[in-house]
Amino acid sequence: MIRVALIVLALAAGCNPTLSAQSLAPPGRAARLDTIDSFWGIKGYRLALSKGVAIAVTCSHGGPCAKLRVTSDDPAIAEVHDASLGVLQPSHGGVYAPDNQATAAAFVVVGKAPGTTKVRVRTDDGGRTIDVTIVPPPEVAPQAVVAR
Amino acid sequence: MRHLLILVSLTGCGMSGAMKQASIVGQCAADDAACSRRHPIAPLAIGSRFHPDVSAEISGSATPNLVLHSADPSVLAVEDGALVAKQPGASAVLISTEDGAVVDFQHMWVAPITKITLARRDGDRIGGSIGLAVGEDVTLVPTLWNRAQRLTGDSDAQWTVSTDGTVSVLRDGSSDRRRLRARAPGVTRVTVALGGIATSVDVEVVP
Repeated sequence: MIRVALIVLALAAGCNPTLSAQSLAPPGRAARLDTIDSFWGIKGYRLALSKGVAIAVTCSHGGPCAKLRVTSDDPAIAEVHDASLGVLQPSHGGVYAPDNQATAAAFVVVGKAPGTTKVRVRTDDGGRTIDVTIVPPPEVAPQAVVAR
Repeated sequence: MRHLLILVSLTGCGMSGAMKQASIVGQCAADDAACSRRHPIAPLAIGSRFHPDVSAEISGSATPNLVLHSADPSVLAVEDGALVAKQPGASAVLISTEDGAVVDFQHMWVAPITKITLARRDGDRIGGSIGLAVGEDVTLVPTLWNRAQRLTGDSDAQWTVSTDGTVSVLRDGSSDRRRLRARAPGVTRVTVALGGIATSVDVEVVP
């Protein structure tokens, strides 16, 4: 029974692509991609991003996602761009080409204005939804102006 | 994934963008010490313009024609290929191909000016008065600061001289630096002001 459950879990988790952050958050700003987990595996993704900050994300499903299409429900809050990440990833070449590789499939999300929206990732291998929260930048403390 | 991280680190050697494929540096002459010290990019001073030199290192490809976009134009705008600092904050600058594919991006910061200092063109900071003989000249470059942090960007500072005829303030094609030419014996004060902040240096001209 446990073995069956594990197989079902593995199959369920493998139905959709996985996403990975590929860039750092700048100092004092948010750029964090997390999974939303359920009993069956990854249910979705959550992205916290500061206004004015960008994050690069790759999509894979046993290899780089094929025919990646990414859209934002509200581009005024979170903008998405296709990205060109010049690296090779092991690809699902099957039993005839186990060593095949393909260029990574990537996109960039940009925080435009504070608020929440969804970014939808669609591929030939299924899709994912990212719940995006754009947070305002921290307020800058006033500082003394010194003139000579 | 481990392979991907290794590849990213290998392909991005020397590139300072978040995706390790491109970098933004200031346009500097090779022998311009004051300019070359702007690397890596410091925060941009509010009101200044930064003329970027964008380069990419993409395996198997020469650099395509790249365009810049600001994530937050209210902080940092892109105007005619230059970055213009508008208000304090941070903004990603996206480096994209003409068809919109992002090759890389870099987060850049904007800060207000709290202090101006002067340096010679070779980078030597001016700490006291300057003595010149008639006919001599010296080139001065204003350096912008936010407390201890040096700022970058070309500013259009106002240069004024307290007494006429002692020294001439000449432009040399740069938007920020000036050449002081000693004209007649005397003492004068040269003041450089930008955005409500000013600094002065006394210049003594001898026969």
